[in-house]
Amino acid sequence: MGRQRRAGVRRSWRVAARRDWRLYSLAIAPLLFFAVFRYLPMVGNVIAFRQYLPGGPLFGDQWVGFYYFDQLIHDPNFWQVFENTLILGALSLLFGFPAPIILALLLNEVISRGAKRFVQSVSYLPHFLSTVVVAAIMMQGLATNGIVNQALGWAGHAPITFLNDPGWFRSAYVSSEIWQYAGFGTILYLAALTTVDSQLYEAARIDGASRWRQTWHITLPGIRPTMIVVLILNIGTFMAVGFEKILLIYNPLTYPTGDVISTYLYRVGIVSGSFSYAAAIGLFESVIGLTLVFAANTFARRVLGAGLW
Amino acid sequence: MHQPSRRRFLAGAGGGAAALALAACSNAPSSSAPAGSQSGGMKNFGVGTQFKAAEPLTFTIAMLSNPAYPYNANWPFFKYLKQITNVSFNPTVIPFADYNTKIAALVNGGQAPMIIPKVYPGEEDQYVAGGAILPVSDYVHLMPNFQDKVAKWNLAGDLDQRRQSNGKYYLLPSLLQSVWQDYSLATRADILDKLSIPTPGTWTGVQSMMLAMKHAYPHSYPLSDRFNQPTPGGNFLNILSAAYGTAAGWGYQVPSNGAYWDASSSAFVFAGSMPQYKAMVTFVNEMYNQGLIDPESFTQADTIALQKLTSGKSFVISDNAQGVVTDQAALPAGQTMVKLPLPAGPLGKTLAQNASGRINSGGGVMISSKALSSPNFTAMLQFIDWLYYSDAGQLFAKWGVQGVTYTGSVADGTFKLEPDVTWAGLNPAGTKKLNATYGFSNGVFSTYTGSTQLLDSQFPPAELDFQKGMASWGLSPLAPPAPLTTTQQQSATLTGNALMSTVQSQTLQFILGKRPLSQWDQYVSELNSQGASKFVSTYNQAYSTYKQQHG
Amino acid sequence: MVSEPAVTESSPARVARQLDRSKAAPRGPAGDQVPGRRRGTRRWPPPTRAYQAFRVINAIILSLVAVAVLFPFLNVLAQSFSSERYINAGQVSLWPRGLNVTTYEHVMSDPLFWNNYRNTVFYTVTATVVAMAVTTCYAYVLSKPHLRGRKVLIGIAVFTMFFNGGIIPNYVLVSFLHMRDTVWAIALPNAINVFNLLVMKSFFENMPPELEEAAAVDGMDTYRILWRIVLPLSKAVIATMTLFYAVMFWNSWFAAFLYMDNQGLFSVTVYLRNIVDSVTSVSNGQLAAGTQVQIAANIQAVTVVLVAIPILFIYPFIQRYFVSGVTLGAVKG
Repeated sequence: MGRQRRAGVRRSWRVAARRDWRLYSLAIAPLLFFAVFRYLPMVGNVIAFRQYLPGGPLFGDQWVGFYYFDQLIHDPNFWQVFENTLILGALSLLFGFPAPIILALLLNEVISRGAKRFVQSVSYLPHFLSTVVVAAIMMQGLATNGIVNQALGWAGHAPITFLNDPGWFRSAYVSSEIWQYAGFGTILYLAALTTVDSQLYEAARIDGASRWRQTWHITLPGIRPTMIVVLILNIGTFMAVGFEKILLIYNPLTYPTGDVISTYLYRVGIVSGSFSYAAAIGLFESVIGLTLVFAANTFARRVLGAGLW
Repeated sequence: MHQPSRRRFLAGAGGGAAALALAACSNAPSSSAPAGSQSGGMKNFGVGTQFKAAEPLTFTIAMLSNPAYPYNANWPFFKYLKQITNVSFNPTVIPFADYNTKIAALVNGGQAPMIIPKVYPGEEDQYVAGGAILPVSDYVHLMPNFQDKVAKWNLAGDLDQRRQSNGKYYLLPSLLQSVWQDYSLATRADILDKLSIPTPGTWTGVQSMMLAMKHAYPHSYPLSDRFNQPTPGGNFLNILSAAYGTAAGWGYQVPSNGAYWDASSSAFVFAGSMPQYKAMVTFVNEMYNQGLIDPESFTQADTIALQKLTSGKSFVISDNAQGVVTDQAALPAGQTMVKLPLPAGPLGKTLAQNASGRINSGGGVMISSKALSSPNFTAMLQFIDWLYYSDAGQLFAKWGVQGVTYTGSVADGTFKLEPDVTWAGLNPAGTKKLNATYGFSNGVFSTYTGSTQLLDSQFPPAELDFQKGMASWGLSPLAPPAPLTTTQQQSATLTGNALMSTVQSQTLQFILGKRPLSQWDQYVSELNSQGASKFVSTYNQAYSTYKQQHG
Repeated sequence: MVSEPAVTESSPARVARQLDRSKAAPRGPAGDQVPGRRRGTRRWPPPTRAYQAFRVINAIILSLVAVAVLFPFLNVLAQSFSSERYINAGQVSLWPRGLNVTTYEHVMSDPLFWNNYRNTVFYTVTATVVAMAVTTCYAYVLSKPHLRGRKVLIGIAVFTMFFNGGIIPNYVLVSFLHMRDTVWAIALPNAINVFNLLVMKSFFENMPPELEEAAAVDGMDTYRILWRIVLPLSKAVIATMTLFYAVMFWNSWFAAFLYMDNQGLFSVTVYLRNIVDSVTSVSNGQLAAGTQVQIAANIQAVTVVLVAIPILFIYPFIQRYFVSGVTLGAVKG
């Protein structure tokens, strides 16, 4: 029985190969790429379980098992940064995901093509800036003598030390993420919006549906596939909150809310060459990310009827 | 206490002749240069000898490119160096901003250049166990100038701090004849005059100065500080903690990440929980409560601190000799900056020997282990010895060539840059930059290193006064060597860095009154639950082990 | 197949409707339109008062967005033309103070800057071409629902979004392949961005299969179908992906920094980072502060402006083709 089935499997593979060999041949170069540049270096992660000495053998000197993971979970700071990562990731998702959709819908309602294109083009700009520049802009703008506090001053409010206050850090970070990426994120949605069938709008208008109802019942379902894909991908990169930006804008006062796994890892591990420890934390993050994306995809397929794959 | 190691040094460093003898005989097997490594080197190289390779040599080197004077293959520096020493470089050019990342990749990836400069003491530790870096202490007998300076300036004890658990050291640090305190506080001289405040010499004096400023300008914060990277209050807490006999700010990590040598108890203690540390934090908190310190003082970006200073919202700021010149240029007319004498604290006029120690102030040189198999190994060490450690080499790297970039001589005090050559506040009107145009005074070859006379030659008069004032200061005791084994090192690094996060964060909370000082004891027990006492005992263990084995 | 593309309609109906739409909806030259509402052909009663109010609010919101985004840029621009004094004092906002163009002259007369600039253009073009070729092939393969082993092939790609090897193994690999100091060190290790791959795959999935089936009946093989039929219909997604890749490579600095040992091979972003980041650098060890360099704020601003200019200026032109490409694709696809 088993052998029969195996034979059947073999036969169907042979059929597939004969039928689709040209298609498979197109996958050779990409698969070579993945094998050489993605999977081969992954072998290096073995140092999460081996003691690696900088400048020593590439795959470490000796097995230490779960030593580094053990250090990790017994470090009281680690759970703090783990929680911070989750919260910051969740907030980024909660506000960062709808922002480009809303912006795209608003842009879609603009009649003047010139105005629309202007706002559109301008809103992409921050995407092109390096994180270093964005961080510099934030530090400048959010300082006690910066533009935000000047505006607060006109409103009669005492200055707020935004980047010094654990209570403000998350808001500052999430806002900057939206500022930086919402505009560019609209590209996908604006493209999707143009594919929504205009006949549906006409039909809805004949039925007397308001703009709001049209948006709710036609536009949003029309761009739903795009939303699902973007959402799943965002969930998958949940843990990878902006390392470089946080590193540049946080400080010991905002560690209680701003310190995330990657920045903590950087301070504790990388700077001093503890590559094994870094690899251990990296694996930990990867497993969580992979789990999240699989869960999100399964959910999307079961409940929304569509997924990433 | 460390006599034997010092004796060993002196044995090797007894002047040029002894070193030569050693180099020629190569009798000690562990410290002999490999056979065939003599090619290109000099037979009679000693102190005062001009190094010149017997044949043209090229060495690979990690070349930091500083954005203020980006690397230029056509710098006259290289041309003259070739003329003088017959040596040229094959550089791996690395941008300043990420120098250490690239060094790590090069060393770990097996592609390290032979010469790796700009490595600060402590940064070499991570590479020791991997074997990619040369234990250079085995070969310093080939470096007469280095040994001469170590002996003459009595630096053996400092150098011992860099020894690893096998008794060897892997870094050739920059050597200073005397501790050079560059950083202090600076303030507006015109405000001092206007309010007739005397120049303070102590920390309480600084406090009353700022109280007077606050009184005259109630809407200002007299101190709004900068230099908060990579540690908050980097300079301010460093010089203040030194005055209290503990470590904070830039000085916290050096040399051993918060394990502070307490000479009175002859043991390492954890800096962040010392009573002296509490006293220091209490003092800063008091000034903060008096409204003397900007809440953003220890976390803001340097540019913002400078904006507050130049717009009259603050008056006091951390500074160094070069900084005062730059700040002055940013101030409106009629306002002048002056660097304050280093304030003394409870310890009196005592300088800490950690961050501002004589081998810790500048970057040093690591050598790749691969260099050992080069036929030019000896020549390379002689070359490094000449360029980095001989009087002539240091003078050349710093000031260039007599008649081209400078006139007179440093030795008799007649030194002057050529009128058209400018460097850091000297000849501000000059059109040719000593570093960017010529490639001299380049951090790769010449940093905080050399004799006091050579260093003094670079100062404008105001800074010379400051340095004269420093002459009356004493030095805190040196920490003894306490080298960790590889396993101890890796675990201590992780614990130490995690503890540092807590200390930095809580220090600011205490200072800014976000956590009451009444919770100090609780904070100390938090540190211990994070492993502070175990961390310190690792160092004490290493200290006694080393003492048994080597001293 | 469980993993049907997101929108599932019967394809012939869709093709019919799309063909119909392409007749019914003539486009302006830029091909940019608001669905269902064409200029000059308003056949419906005027919008309600609520909608009028919404339009006003919408205009205000979008203006605020534009201001919030533009302000920092104009600020950097103003700084780049201002003298250091005023920048340090924090007195430059939207208009230059103490007009100063010598910094522009200084940076633009630096041969290294232009050399690195040319490198960036070369790296961006090469890497984008390579990336587009490889990504397109794989996305096309993945878009065929009947293909055996398709899910495994997708899994292979998605898995790499979460696991990577870290800096050192990558560095050793690139060294081993002798790709350091060549453009391949930048182009090959980043040839497929999985996000772009997935976007492209879902575009191909949404193409009507009839055309390809018809071509197959006519005797065309897979390669020719891809080249002659699919790609010409995919200008939209090709434009989009080319832009995404080009922006990615233009802004990237790490690969050039890590794999190039000669500053004549650096990209301009490495140059930029060295200037902008040297003051804020955290990677330089505990004592770097002692030797930190202060780079004048306005040199930073000038470099930022000069690096951003090509994108900012070319963008509106690309965008025109880009948007029309998307529309075109939707009609014909």
